[in-house]
Amino acid sequence: MTNEHHSDSYLEHAHGLFGNKGGIVGWIFTLDHKRIGVMYLVCVLLAFLLAGIFAMMIRYQLLTPEGTFLTADQYNQVFTLHGAIMVFLVIIPGVPAALGNFVLPIMLGAKDVAFPKLNLFSWYLWIAGLVFFLLSLVYGGVDTGWTFYTPYSIDKTSSMGGVIPALIGAFILGFSSIFTGMNFIVTIHRLRPPGMTWFKMPLFLWGTYATAVIQVLATPVIGITLLLLIVERTMGIGIFDPAMGGDPVLYQHFFWFYSHPAVYIMILPAMGVVSELISVHSHRHIFGYKFIAYSSIAIAMFGFLVWGHHMFVSGQSPLMNAIFSLITFSVSIPSAVKVFNWLATLYKGSISLNTPMIYGLSFIFIFTIGGLTGLHLGTLATDVHLHDSYFVVAHFHYVMMGSALIGFIGGIHHWWPKMSGKMYSEFWGRIAAVMVFIGFNMTFFTQFMLGSQGMPRRYAQYATMPELQVYHVWSTIGSTIMALGFVITAIYLIQSMFSGKKAPSNPWGGRSLEWQCTSPPPWNNFSEQPTVGDCYDYSVLEWDEAEQGYHWKEDAERP
Amino acid sequence: MTNLLLKTLMASGAGSGKDATFWMPEQASTVAHSVDLTFDVITWISYFFFVLITGALIWFIVKYQRKGHEAVTEGPVHNTTIEVVWTVIPLLLVIVIFVVGLKGYLNLQEAPEGCYEVQVTAQKWSWTFDHPDYAVTQVGELTVPEGQPVRLIMTSNDLLHSLWIPSFRVKMDAIPGRYTSLWFEATKTGTFQLLCTEYCGKDHSKMLAVVNVVPKEDFKPHMVKLASEYEDMSLEQLPAYAINRLYNRCQSCHSLDGSDNTGPTFKGLWDRVSKGDVNFTNGDNLSNLLGDGTDYVQPENYIRESLVNPQKHIVQGYLGAMPSFQGQLKEKQITALIEMFKRLDELTDADGNVIVNTDGTPR
Repeated sequence: MTNEHHSDSYLEHAHGLFGNKGGIVGWIFTLDHKRIGVMYLVCVLLAFLLAGIFAMMIRYQLLTPEGTFLTADQYNQVFTLHGAIMVFLVIIPGVPAALGNFVLPIMLGAKDVAFPKLNLFSWYLWIAGLVFFLLSLVYGGVDTGWTFYTPYSIDKTSSMGGVIPALIGAFILGFSSIFTGMNFIVTIHRLRPPGMTWFKMPLFLWGTYATAVIQVLATPVIGITLLLLIVERTMGIGIFDPAMGGDPVLYQHFFWFYSHPAVYIMILPAMGVVSELISVHSHRHIFGYKFIAYSSIAIAMFGFLVWGHHMFVSGQSPLMNAIFSLITFSVSIPSAVKVFNWLATLYKGSISLNTPMIYGLSFIFIFTIGGLTGLHLGTLATDVHLHDSYFVVAHFHYVMMGSALIGFIGGIHHWWPKMSGKMYSEFWGRIAAVMVFIGFNMTFFTQFMLGSQGMPRRYAQYATMPELQVYHVWSTIGSTIMALGFVITAIYLIQSMFSGKKAPSNPWGGRSLEWQCTSPPPWNNFSEQPTVGDCYDYSVLEWDEAEQGYHWKEDAERP
Repeated sequence: MTNLLLKTLMASGAGSGKDATFWMPEQASTVAHSVDLTFDVITWISYFFFVLITGALIWFIVKYQRKGHEAVTEGPVHNTTIEVVWTVIPLLLVIVIFVVGLKGYLNLQEAPEGCYEVQVTAQKWSWTFDHPDYAVTQVGELTVPEGQPVRLIMTSNDLLHSLWIPSFRVKMDAIPGRYTSLWFEATKTGTFQLLCTEYCGKDHSKMLAVVNVVPKEDFKPHMVKLASEYEDMSLEQLPAYAINRLYNRCQSCHSLDGSDNTGPTFKGLWDRVSKGDVNFTNGDNLSNLLGDGTDYVQPENYIRESLVNPQKHIVQGYLGAMPSFQGQLKEKQITALIEMFKRLDELTDADGNVIVNTDGTPR
């Protein structure tokens, strides 16, 4: 224990299962939430790279009506893997497991999460899930779509051989998600510092808390469903197979009972990130704190009651459809409330257009479009036409990619100085953020028209509809711009670790507790229990030219 | 490549059909107009909120941009009145949208009295349309009268499929072991695209059909002609007719690509039969039954018998699930099927896809 100093940063001090070992052992056996968060971040971003390559393959395949370079079977595998990796390996764990793990305990002034070993185990489960996903390729690939709809997924003459490993992978990833959620719930309940009541928590914590509740309550349902699917495919018990008296539509109910709340598992933590970004970078107290906090809980609750809107044209009774349509609209209200509150926060703010803020503002713009087009899909009369078309593809990319993932990328930029202890290039950061914003909108706005004009989802070619090519071409150009933006981002972030300027404790002027410890934080976060006040009151901070960051005013009162 | 890009980028108003709008393809059914009206109402509400939100966003970004690092802000952090207002107004609006959407939907759901009914069977990767009124079966093409409500009663032979006719604004899933239905009334003659929109594997994107809307007075003659079109055909024309009009009743059990199914594949069937290379479950062999003084004499007779009395000889390895087509197939149709077997290689490609149309032109 000779080298245990409070001041050692977490990058130097492993705090592992086997003591303070250096090197790779110090990372993969660490119990430090910050190291686990960084490991998640690296893994999630590598999975994002993989899924992004698949996405580009989809876009370039559809450049011409006949398809350019993939066979139908290859295309079907590519879109399945793109969707499955993005959902299960990237967006669901993205903000909570990567950023949440790093930031959440520090925001609480805690030394770690409540169960550090369980936290490390969650990461290993994520790795195991990835391994099974890759194994599915060895066993003949998967072409079911990420939704694994029955009877396609249980029909061995239709779907490819890798369905079982992929299902096992998704099952394991579910447990990774449940354990992370449990850990966060207990941590937030038990480890808040003195003075931090529920309504004094940073809104990011409200976002992750609401998410954790959904993770714990909804994920077991998908676990059971996937197990049933495995048993059905291997033993033919006849629960989903119509040939044996089963009901293939029952699977859709089970699946969406989890997977619709899962959409909120993706978006809520990103909304939490955006609440921080908007407030900190406009140096303005968040507007309507309680409305934003309650709206997170409202979204989490309503999210459980809307799954039937995925089945408006599956022969479900009109009465059921009417009920699900009505409840679906109720989700739009708390979402709208959040957007209005963010706007009111910007009003009379002091807006700094730095890289994290460009992502935060992009989120508001993109989420507005994603939310409003949800109205077209929640409305019964119009959904019949738009269902399973590219309109749906465009809508959920606006919400899951343009909102959830953009929030994640914005969060990475916001907390990068804290995590790495280095500043990245602001110049390239802004250029890349603008490229991602423009590229994203080009890629996906065109897909709204594609869908309403008659292009169904999951088509490997559209030879009979050559008039739709113009939208596909725009979309592919946009996706290329967006991909270049991400490549630039990867380059300047990696470069910053080697030659970036040293980050101050508080480069942006944030008030929550993570900005009060050094960058990078010491291995035990705080040597003394910090006290908290209003985490959105920026009047106590002032710019320090020497430090290139913000510090407490001399005369400001400490809580 | 550059040329293609330029050409496609310069194309504008790329929707299908002449009177397509920026958002929607042409309207060709009675419900299309009201669906589009609902769509437009929601879209205009969306435009309003989009302009409001992004307008405020851009205005604030420009007006309140930070200069330097010193930042002093003041402004309200809470205002219950305004927050209740911007909660209640959207709430009222979405209730209006819901009601409008529900009314339109009920209109889409409730088929009027006196619909002309068509049985639709979906299977990988084709659509079969049975007209019980005329004893006509169409594959890949659905002929319907203009100005008459048509109800499609749908099911699937294998997986989930979904029938979508964008110009009619209608869609419904086809589910194995269950019947679903939708209705429409076409308002224009012409051909309209019909697509599968529920992912169903390899050739999902080729699971297409054409809706052919004919004037109401032409419909009956058209159907009668379809029902008897083979009668005037010569022997050369019959194989293409059989593979397009008759094979769809065989395809759920007999493949064209050599793959095994409930019954033996049709690929190479004539070759096996004419050589007598078929073993039966009773231990007999077809070669013993061909030639002078035997049961069948000619291989054609064996095929004919298999259609009208399929239980007589069951091929080894199969269960004998085939129903008799006695009375359902006219003599000339049986001849057409036999000719189809003889010339199957000219009618299909290596993967078992049909490559000719009913009239013999290449597909």
